[in-house]
Amino acid sequence: MDWLDKLSIVVIAGLTLATMGMVTNQEINYRHLANAQAEASGLQQTSQLEIDKNIFQPFDELDRQGRIDQARIKLEEIIKQNPDKSSGYILMARLQVKQGNVGDGVLNYRRAVDMQPDYVDKKTPSFIGREIADVVQKGVTKYSREKQLRPNDQQVAQVLHDVYYLQSRIGGGCE
Amino acid sequence: MKTLVKAIDMSILAGAFLGFGAVFLTYLGNPINSGICVSCFLENIAGALQLHDQLRMSYIRPEILGFVLGAFLMARTTGRFRVRGGSSPLIRFMTGFFIIVGCAVFIGCPIKMFLRLAAGDLTAVAAVLGLVFGIWVGVKYIKKGLALEPPKIMPTAQGYVVPALAIVLLLLLFLAPSFIKTGDTGPAAARAPIPIALGIGLVIGAFSQRSGLCITGGIRNFILARETTLLKGIITAFVGALILTSMLGQFKLGFNGQPGSHLSHGWTFLAMTLVGLGSVLIDGCPFRQLVKAGQGDIDAGIATLGMLTGGALVYTWALRSTSAGPTLQGQVTVLIGLAFTVSVAAAFRKRRGAARA
Repeated sequence: MDWLDKLSIVVIAGLTLATMGMVTNQEINYRHLANAQAEASGLQQTSQLEIDKNIFQPFDELDRQGRIDQARIKLEEIIKQNPDKSSGYILMARLQVKQGNVGDGVLNYRRAVDMQPDYVDKKTPSFIGREIADVVQKGVTKYSREKQLRPNDQQVAQVLHDVYYLQSRIGGGCE
Repeated sequence: MKTLVKAIDMSILAGAFLGFGAVFLTYLGNPINSGICVSCFLENIAGALQLHDQLRMSYIRPEILGFVLGAFLMARTTGRFRVRGGSSPLIRFMTGFFIIVGCAVFIGCPIKMFLRLAAGDLTAVAAVLGLVFGIWVGVKYIKKGLALEPPKIMPTAQGYVVPALAIVLLLLLFLAPSFIKTGDTGPAAARAPIPIALGIGLVIGAFSQRSGLCITGGIRNFILARETTLLKGIITAFVGALILTSMLGQFKLGFNGQPGSHLSHGWTFLAMTLVGLGSVLIDGCPFRQLVKAGQGDIDAGIATLGMLTGGALVYTWALRSTSAGPTLQGQVTVLIGLAFTVSVAAAFRKRRGAARA
């Protein structure tokens, strides 16, 4: 090992220490900032839930009163005005399934899951995988039978496709 | 006992660790049917390094680091750490990229293909057929003179680059600095405990280094010369996974509604044809590239970097499939990848009489 090798080792060690120091310093600052951001995000989430509750309140009231047809019309109106709210599609899906319209219910569950995958993620508070799985099961039974009766019906094929899609999403995997 | 140990082929042992280890990892928290998937896990690592912005797919997977470091440690201790490289690096980089696109369109690497099949997912049948067909095409080219440039002996220091990168990633996994992203939902949140995942990765990496276990290599050797050593390892991995999925209640036979799968069988076939042919070109499946990179193969290191780039771009450019099927971009890239691999296979043929001409 000559003097140049020794110098190289000193330079590498110096650069490594300097890098570690800079990263550590940045991390300390980031953690403070992250805590503050988490607090702000928590507050924002709470106020967002409050806003969502207000948006869907007219529908909730009609639904509670059992005025299903009017509730559905109101919900359609709300979804039209707020197409980015995935919860609207979930409410619509529940309503449709309750009315026996499993096909449209499945389509709306699919829309909601595409917008918000947390609905089928067990590790999140939004998880409603069991509810969707129950509807999917009904869909498989009903539309497999319909497929046998009407093998060339494109609508039946599409619903069945959506049912299997949801089944696959509930199953998990790398998606 | 000694006779029994001798009788058990090293590749069978590596296959057993791979099959049982992968399903055991799903039991401990890894994504279902995806206990080990080199392409999915490289996509996760790319996300963790912010090479794509899908937080749900961002996590430094210790299994991948285990494969590289296990192979490195085994190669160092057994005198098999041989640093070679310089064989068509750009071709290998691009092929590595296209292989991951093929995997992303199928939703899984060749290992995951067998794991999906072992869990009863019949959509993987089209993938097996596609992979075997791709390898068969590659073998045809090999028989007609296909060979990339021969590798040369390289300075030893180069062989340490990929293992050193794996160690840096391992440190980043443990230290979790802010610039490393880890998803709390989706596949990223589905993870086995780090020490166990790393340990299983190390064991599989080490035994695969010793045995040369390779999914595409095993099939290629069988088609090319009816040689079954590596194939036995693959069959063992499949049978091991099949036994454990059945025992753990993860086996569900059928085409429809399988986790992380789609019903576009034609695209699955083409995507895995690309993976098969690409793997023959660069001499090994994605898993084998990691193991070879760990044992000092610079060319495999370059292919690994190509695969990591693929892991990032399949998300950034949406070159992949979801449960609804492949995206148009994914389909187009598979076709481009097939054109690329066939072009390379044709261009690198050593034709008889070429020297005289």
